[in-house]
Amino acid sequence: MIHISDTATRHPKVFFWLSGLLALVMIALVALPSLWPASFSMLYPLEIDTDPENMLSRSEPVRVYHNDRKKEFSLYDMIVVGVVNDSHPQGVFNKNSLSHIHALAEFAKKIPGVISVDLMSPSTVDNIEPGGPGVVKFQWLMKQPPADDAEALAIRDKAQHLPLLNGTIVSADGKAVALYIPITAKNISYNVVEQLKVKIAGFDGNDRYYITGLPVAQDTFGVEMFVQMAISAPMAMLLIFLLMWYFFKKASLVVSPMIVAMISVISTMGLLVITGNVVHIMSSMIPIFIMPIAVLDAIHILSDFYDKYPQYKNRRKTIKHVMKELSAPMLFTTLTTAVGFASLALTPIPPVQTFGFFVAVGVVLAWLFTITLVPAYIILMPEESFADFGLDHTDENKNSPLARMLNGLGRVTYSGAKLIILAVFVLIGVAWIGVNKIEINDNPVKWFSPDHEIRVADRALNERFAGTYMAYLVLEGAGEESFPQFAEGLKAGLKSRNLPEMVPEVEAFLSETKDRKQLVEQLIQKMEQRMEAVSDEEWDNWDLALTWVGEYLGRSEIFKSPEVLNYMGRLQDYLQDTGLVGKSNSLADVVKTVHRELFMGNKEDYRIPGTRGAVAETLITYQNSHRPQDLWHFVTPDYKKSNMWLQLKSGDNRDMSALIDKVDQFFQDNPAPEGIHHNWFGLTYINVIWQDKMVSGMAEAFIGSFVIVLIMMTFLFRSLLWGVLAMIPLTFTIGMIYGIIGLIGKDYDMPVAVLSSLSLGLAVDYAIHFLARSREMRKKYPDWKTTSAAVFGEPARAITRNVIVVGIGFMPLLAASLVPYKTVGVFISAILVLAGVATLTILPALIRLFEGLLFKKDMI
Amino acid sequence: MKNILKTLLVMSFLWSVPASAMDVMDVVKQANHVSYYKGNDGRAKVNMRIIDAQGRERVREFIILRRNDDDTDGKQKFYVYFNKPADVKKMVFMVVKNMDRGDDRWLYLPGLDLVKRIAASDERTSFVGSHFFYEDVSGRGILEDTHVMVEENDTYYIVESTPKDPQSVEFTSFRSWIHKATFLPIKTEYYDNQGQKIRSYTALKVEMIGGYPTVTAASMEDHQTGGKTLMNYSAVRYNVGLPDKIFSERYLRKAPRKYLR
Repeated sequence: MIHISDTATRHPKVFFWLSGLLALVMIALVALPSLWPASFSMLYPLEIDTDPENMLSRSEPVRVYHNDRKKEFSLYDMIVVGVVNDSHPQGVFNKNSLSHIHALAEFAKKIPGVISVDLMSPSTVDNIEPGGPGVVKFQWLMKQPPADDAEALAIRDKAQHLPLLNGTIVSADGKAVALYIPITAKNISYNVVEQLKVKIAGFDGNDRYYITGLPVAQDTFGVEMFVQMAISAPMAMLLIFLLMWYFFKKASLVVSPMIVAMISVISTMGLLVITGNVVHIMSSMIPIFIMPIAVLDAIHILSDFYDKYPQYKNRRKTIKHVMKELSAPMLFTTLTTAVGFASLALTPIPPVQTFGFFVAVGVVLAWLFTITLVPAYIILMPEESFADFGLDHTDENKNSPLARMLNGLGRVTYSGAKLIILAVFVLIGVAWIGVNKIEINDNPVKWFSPDHEIRVADRALNERFAGTYMAYLVLEGAGEESFPQFAEGLKAGLKSRNLPEMVPEVEAFLSETKDRKQLVEQLIQKMEQRMEAVSDEEWDNWDLALTWVGEYLGRSEIFKSPEVLNYMGRLQDYLQDTGLVGKSNSLADVVKTVHRELFMGNKEDYRIPGTRGAVAETLITYQNSHRPQDLWHFVTPDYKKSNMWLQLKSGDNRDMSALIDKVDQFFQDNPAPEGIHHNWFGLTYINVIWQDKMVSGMAEAFIGSFVIVLIMMTFLFRSLLWGVLAMIPLTFTIGMIYGIIGLIGKDYDMPVAVLSSLSLGLAVDYAIHFLARSREMRKKYPDWKTTSAAVFGEPARAITRNVIVVGIGFMPLLAASLVPYKTVGVFISAILVLAGVATLTILPALIRLFEGLLFKKDMI
Repeated sequence: MKNILKTLLVMSFLWSVPASAMDVMDVVKQANHVSYYKGNDGRAKVNMRIIDAQGRERVREFIILRRNDDDTDGKQKFYVYFNKPADVKKMVFMVVKNMDRGDDRWLYLPGLDLVKRIAASDERTSFVGSHFFYEDVSGRGILEDTHVMVEENDTYYIVESTPKDPQSVEFTSFRSWIHKATFLPIKTEYYDNQGQKIRSYTALKVEMIGGYPTVTAASMEDHQTGGKTLMNYSAVRYNVGLPDKIFSERYLRKAPRKYLR
């Protein structure tokens, strides 16, 4: 490494040209395909990915199942528009508001990408009701806007009378309306919402419109991510520059770490894009991670250079000294940081893998650029410009407040070592209490700050409606009897219905087909042919048998069975009682509602009729509506699989997890007919799955990188004892941070999970520098007491400068409007500051207490 | 489409093609007649395959009986008796098509032991879950639309129809390709207010039955949902001698076996 630095100091200009060229090539490779995708189709353009679904890989079984079921039940991602009016006594159920809602629905239908036939709004859904004695009526709920407020109320009453609409389209208090706008793809939601907003802006009156739904949230991420990268990253850069300027008093000199940081960021992001990776919410944080890390090594070099220059008064000699002193710790800190991040590649979450891997790459690149460009830059500066540079050694100890403070701290760690260790134990105890209180939970909508319009809409709608978070529960039977059994049953049935002559026909077909449906169809055809010649009396018997054969095949349509539908009804009642579900919608509701309306709307007829035929009749009646296809959201046309749509008021993974357990419990306590088993899908469920993977994956990644770093430390110090010592500050820090998270009640979510691994690699840096320099210096001094005073000189100052620069360098993340960025900003800063403090207190205290053990004769 | 044109070409020789251009109203009346009023009465067995956008298929099979009250192409009655699916067997749908007011429609649900009248409010709802509407089965009154002849070529009169009451229907206009020789609409396309084709009917097969050119296979496609329904007619007979009394509530519960066999 010293060799590379040496080469760099001999050919400084070449190194700058090469680095500059590299950055330009990277920019070109990204810009060309992004700006002119057609001409550069062989290159990967810059692509943004805002879909939390991508937290799971595309081939993940849960995700494959989710997408297959979505297709099977014709379900799409939905934009939810809520309309509220607090000034009118009837809420939005007045002439004016409903006219606007009508106009908005008509407008939305025509926006490209909106699935108009599945749009749910008062004007696009059907009302079924008795239309006088013996009459049943199907009509659009609100074909035309109401002529007056009384008519508006009538529309409300009708909608509230229909269980599928109440709480979904009309709020429980009967004052608000929600529109559900299905779209072909999530990535068009931003555009759709913009068009809706323009339309809404043209409405008069006091209605308030709230727009939410996961697709909207996701699309907004994309915009916020760019804002974050365009504002937070440059802000971090500016802050770091100002801090370094303050420390080293020489603007022209501190430009070099800035160049290192820029080139590292550009190269890393360039590599990310040109290797075909998309920029996800995780990878959008790469620049802001690399920026402070990239300057870490440069600060050590400059810090040392700043302190040593007055001794040599010669750039080249000083650099040589500095690089000799620092090259080993710098290499090791780089490797440990890289390992910490690279360990994220072990998690099963693709965006986290990409993030971890590329930050690791960036860290190594930053190291490479630091040890070449920073020395080269110093050489390129004229010697005269260093005339008054550096710490004045004659008066070192009193020179700066920082130096004085650190000197004092050094003495305290020596005299109060036992007290420090005692405090550490107390703190660990407190942290332990906190760690046990940690609650694992996440919710992508809560990634926005509480005052963001999406969160506002989310609250407004979930207060009034059954819930904007969707989960789907699929029910499926255990399957049918074997084909031979089926055929035997068929033959037996024909015999018992006085048609033994058909049995040989069945047997003849058996050689041709092994398909139930085909067999029955062939049999029916044969029977129909024979029937043509029989007498009227015989015909009736044949006709009955024919019906039986059809029904025999129809048994596989288990979701027409009253027993099954009643079971579903009980499950729904149970779901409602859990308090976790705002509302559930199922095939059972459809059957019950139609049944009630066929019987004059009597309350007591809101039930599942007693026979399969009666159920089939209610279902076919339902299909006489304007939207027969709505049925296929709840059941497959073969009636073998059913889908229950659950509306949840909370999108917290914690609540969804609790619901999953409750449903398992129900199936355990209430054995289902037809061997029915259940399965989940929907985004709310997907989120739980990737969170579980994240938590367990993170634990593995953390343990993995902990062990690797420990091995590296043992190798670096050629001693297990010293290796363990190096791990203590970061272990303490991470323990404390998680303790604090538990104590303040912050959920253990996606960003928090990522923090543990990445902080490990960063926090150990301070220990490496501290211990390496301590051991080095101990050789020159007789005991720890004197060594300590020296270690709390330049090495401690370098560490402190680093703590301050990096700790503050991440602060601009707080300016971001997305909560995960803020969380990362706050905690990474806290971790680094705490790790710095832990390093400068716990380590010297431990060394003081175990001096004899650590500095054996042979080790020195 | 090719086959059907061949059939129609053969039929063209059997009818004398009127030499002079016809008035659009006459074309529409004639098309209405050959589509819904052939003979005094008629019966057919209809097999309906409802296919959704995912290719999933459901089958309905029913016997349809029709009787004209007189020969004015006015009032007529339909009796639709379901055989399949087996679980709705014996279900009956009956229509009395009125000229002066909305049609009277009944539904008999044997499993629920229920006879229901269906309110006349809207006839453009799905016919038992298919892509055909009730109105497609019993016919749309020719006076409900304004008709314009937009084109006339060797084979077709192309008529554009615009509803007089646009609020009552889901389309803005429809266009019919009426075969010149037989007056059978071979294709009908429905458009929304942006001119997008939302539904289309196609006659897939025409046969000569009892002296009448008869559509024996037809499809209705829904371009919005991507599904379609295929109808196949068999055992078509005209002038069967259906008595008027079977088109009554009494016969809903006791199906007239004689005419349904």
